[in-house]
Amino acid sequence: MALLNKDGSRLDGRGVTDLRPLKITAGVLNRAAGSCLIEWGRNKVLAAVYGPHEVFPKHLTNPRRALINARYIMAPFSSQEEHGRSGPNRRSIEISKVARHVFENVVFTERFPKTMIDVHMEVLQSDGGTRVSAITAASVALADAGIPMRDLVCGVSVGRVDGKLVVDLDKYEDNLGESDVPVVISPRTKELLLFQLDGLLSKKEVSEGLDMIFEAANVIREKQVQALADKFKDVDSGDLQ
Amino acid sequence: MKKVLVPGDEVPGSASNADGVYSENGKHYASTILLESNGRVVPLKGYYVPIRGDYVIGIVTEERFSGYTIDLNSPYEGQISSRDLREELQIGDVVSAKVVSVNEVNEPVLTEVRLFSGGELLEVDAVKIPRVIGKNGSMLQLLKEYTGADVFVGKNGRIYLRNGNLALASLAIMKISREAHSSGLTDRMMEFLTQELRNNGDKK
Repeated sequence: MALLNKDGSRLDGRGVTDLRPLKITAGVLNRAAGSCLIEWGRNKVLAAVYGPHEVFPKHLTNPRRALINARYIMAPFSSQEEHGRSGPNRRSIEISKVARHVFENVVFTERFPKTMIDVHMEVLQSDGGTRVSAITAASVALADAGIPMRDLVCGVSVGRVDGKLVVDLDKYEDNLGESDVPVVISPRTKELLLFQLDGLLSKKEVSEGLDMIFEAANVIREKQVQALADKFKDVDSGDLQ
Repeated sequence: MKKVLVPGDEVPGSASNADGVYSENGKHYASTILLESNGRVVPLKGYYVPIRGDYVIGIVTEERFSGYTIDLNSPYEGQISSRDLREELQIGDVVSAKVVSVNEVNEPVLTEVRLFSGGELLEVDAVKIPRVIGKNGSMLQLLKEYTGADVFVGKNGRIYLRNGNLALASLAIMKISREAHSSGLTDRMMEFLTQELRNNGDKK
C-alpha cells in the first residue's frame, strides 16, 4: 500500500515536514488548577492539572519533592479500533509512566515537598500521535496552573513512510509505515525528554529526524505560547507598578 | 511594552530576583507565567507557600487530639495548638492567624488566632494580594473609606469582610483581582467606588 502520492506529498496532501492543523486552548476547565484542550489534526486531547496537594496514598510521600501523578487514558469512544472499556490498560500505563518522567524533569518538584501534582490527559479522539499531543497539552495546563517549570515542553513524532522521513505521523502512517518515533523535547535546552522508537531507523535517519523535530518544535511552541497569552491577555494594558 | 512570558522564556537581568524567575548558567528564565514591562516582571499565577510572620486567613478542617488542622488555600495545611486557644473551634470556622514557624517541608504552625463570625470570605490568587493592599496600604484604606467595611487581608489570598457595604466591597475586590496588573488602579478604583455609590444612593 502506497503511503505517499506520486508527487511525493502525503495522503492528506501534506509535505514531509508539514504538521497537521494545530489548535491549543488554555484554561478550558473551571475547577482544575490548570487545563488545556489540544486539537491536532483529528486528535483531541484534554489535559487538566490539580494540586499540589496532599499525597494519596500517604505512604508514597516524599519529604524532598513533589510527586507527579500523570494519567494518560483513551476514552472508549476515541478510536476507530477497539480500545475496550475505559480504564487503564498496558499501553496507557506505559504512556502515563513516560509522561511522568517528562514532567519530573521539567517541574521544580523540590519546591513543593510532601505534595503531589495530578496531571490528567484524556484522549477524546485519536488519530496517531496522541502521546505527544497529550504531553504538549499537559505542559500548557501545568503552566496555566502556575506550577514552576524549567521550560514549556512540546512533542511531535517523526517516522519513515515509504522510505522517506516524515514529521507528525497520522494513524495510517503510524500503523502502516516503516517506523515511528515520538519525541518530547525542551526547546530551550534542546534536551530530549522522551524518545521511543517503533520499527527501525538508521543512525543517520535518527539524526535527520531529530533535526526535523527541532524545526517543528518552533511552530508548536509558538502555538502553546499563544494559547497562554490569549488566556492572560486581559491583563495586558498599562504599566506595571 | 507589556509581554506575557511563559516558562523557559528569558527574563532581563534586572528582574533576576523576582518571583517566578530561576537562573541557570548565568542567565535568567521564567518558571511561571509572568508579565514583563520595562525590565520588571510580576507573576500572573502562583501558589501561596507559608512564610514566617505572615498573617493568613484559614478554615478549620479537622479537630485533633491537641489542636486543629487549618486549610490555608495552599498546598500546605496549618496547625493550631489547643494551648494557644481560649475557646474551642468548630470545623468550618474562619480564623485569622499568624505563621510562627515553618518547618523544612513548608508546614506552618499558627498562633494569634482570632475567630471570625458573620461577614464574608473572598478568595483571590495569592499573587494578587499586594495589589489589594496597595502601596503603603493605600488601596485597603480606599476600600475601607468608601464601603465602611472592615477588611482583613490574609497573605494566602483570602480576604474577610465585615460590616459596611459588603456587596460593594466584594465587587471592588473582584475588580482589583481582575485588573491587578494594570496601572493607575487606585485612581480607577476610586472612580469606580464613587460611581457605584452614586448609582446605588438613588435606589435608597
